[in-house]
Amino acid sequence: MTEKLKTFYNKRKTIILLVLFAMAIALPFLIEKGSVMSLIVRIMFYIILASSLNIINGYSGQFNIGHAGFVLIGSYTLSILAQLGWPIWVLYILAGVVTSIIGLIIALPTLRLRGIYLALVTLGFSEILRLIALNWTGLTGGPMGIKGIPAPWFFGLRSTAPHNYYFIVLFFVIICLFTSYRVINSKVGRAWMSIREDDHAAMSLGVDIRKYKAINFMFGAFWAGVGGALMAPFYTFIDSSMFSLDEGFNILSMVIIGGQGTLIGPVVGSVVVNLTTEIFRFADEARLLIYAIMIMAMMWIRPQGLAGTSRSVIANRSLGKERGTFLKKLLKKKEVK
Amino acid sequence: MYLLEQLINGICQGSIYALMAIGYAVIYGVVGLVTFTYGEIIMMGSFSAFYYFILFGDNLFFALIAGFITAAVVGIVVHKVCYQRFLDAPRYISLICTIGMSMFLKNFATIVFGSEMKGMPAFFAGKFIEIGTIRVGYMQLLIIGVVIALSLVLTIYLKKTRMGMKLRAVSQDKKAAALVGINVKTTTLIGNCIGCGLGGVAGILLGVYYNSVLPTMGGMAGLKAFSSMVLGGLGSISGAAIGGVLIGVVENLGIALTSSGLRDVFAFLLLVLVLVIRPQGLFGKKGN
Repeated sequence: MTEKLKTFYNKRKTIILLVLFAMAIALPFLIEKGSVMSLIVRIMFYIILASSLNIINGYSGQFNIGHAGFVLIGSYTLSILAQLGWPIWVLYILAGVVTSIIGLIIALPTLRLRGIYLALVTLGFSEILRLIALNWTGLTGGPMGIKGIPAPWFFGLRSTAPHNYYFIVLFFVIICLFTSYRVINSKVGRAWMSIREDDHAAMSLGVDIRKYKAINFMFGAFWAGVGGALMAPFYTFIDSSMFSLDEGFNILSMVIIGGQGTLIGPVVGSVVVNLTTEIFRFADEARLLIYAIMIMAMMWIRPQGLAGTSRSVIANRSLGKERGTFLKKLLKKKEVK
Repeated sequence: MYLLEQLINGICQGSIYALMAIGYAVIYGVVGLVTFTYGEIIMMGSFSAFYYFILFGDNLFFALIAGFITAAVVGIVVHKVCYQRFLDAPRYISLICTIGMSMFLKNFATIVFGSEMKGMPAFFAGKFIEIGTIRVGYMQLLIIGVVIALSLVLTIYLKKTRMGMKLRAVSQDKKAAALVGINVKTTTLIGNCIGCGLGGVAGILLGVYYNSVLPTMGGMAGLKAFSSMVLGGLGSISGAAIGGVLIGVVENLGIALTSSGLRDVFAFLLLVLVLVIRPQGLFGKKGN
């Protein structure tokens, strides 16, 4: 299925992209309900966050599970400086820059680490950052959080109404996906992927692993920071509990469910995860149970993610030598009986 | 004097972490995969003791056994869902699966047990030994004693019995173990159950030490166990124990010098520092 879609897309690239863009622009005029619109805005936040995590996890094979820490930095940078009266538009970018500097600081000592050790360091950093935000009452408001974060001016409108804020987020989502696309298809992106596949081989071919890993971390952290900064004026309130480890796992689940190492994967993951948790809102607490079962079922049935191809390395290895889906296997078992 | 008392608190708390880390090290050694469900297993053990106290009265010894069994049973479920299928797959698949499992167990516990904090009965309330001007509670002595006893039993089990030998063989090399006729599947399952059971016991000790249990207590406990193990060196059991005690001591001395809100910051700071300076852990071998 995905193969057919791919060839179809490659044939009519410009038209499809234009249609999608027109649909995205028209969306807020078609939907009147504010709650639906704010769900869509939330999905778009997570598209940015999941894409940025996908850059780190999916393309260079580093394992970052403390992504919430980067989001926290972006969010707090904007909130603190916005209260001092800095212009919000500048702060969106500045938050990204600050976060990517922090990303570099975290990356520098950890460039030697791989796999689970790196995962643990990112996890530790994420938790340290959250606890500092919780305890540094003078700067971050501590447990009270920061209230009344102003929204930016946008064509003479100063409003956090989802219908208006949607366009700001859409702007950044498009830039995020576009830059990711360009970077991945450049020399840098190829270097990342070579590191992901085999870092020793990459090194022997003259790829400066440390440099590219650092760039990778900075790029991912930049967009995580921008995503976090975008969230703050929309919710008008942030506190440290919004950036717990569970939030990091949440973003990670979106990347995995959508499909690591594909550009469209995080988009699919964000839409699917947010929609399902929204649909099951009536189930209240059981909603997260359903989410948890979904994650586990995904790993059983389709570990390469919804957008990943069945030819992916991940798909083949995990299901043994034989190809085919979980359902096919079940059917086979019945036949034997 | 205040610092010395904090040191004793730290050793006591650290020994609980050590027990958790030992359990984690057993799991990691045998299964060879990192798990995020361990915290929830600790929580399940803790809750089983809570209900044991309600149903059968305050008997700590039998509650510990009940906790061990409950946690081991949960361990079997985790093994079936998260490990068995993914032993040869890329590691992150089972990792994500355990994240899902941990989410499931946490929310399951919140729905079934209720989200509010529950009190555990206090044992030896207010009883302590006075050495000079330092007070050491009976409870603290008991916890340290239980942890030392369990680690001794585990060491003897691993070193002297046939099953222990199988476990060590599997954790060293699965293929070679299979070649010499060890049933790797069953051994892995048993190892996982033992690790989880130790975690359950540690959970009860944690609950009794703080006189409270919570469905969300697992997250931080699991992370501390994981950190302790990595601090000592992946998969090394004695290293894990020392790592646990070290984290407990650093935490308690840290909050004695600053404020109690920063407790976990010290634990993770220590971990990050060690990983950056010596990635293989304090007692780990190089080249892993």
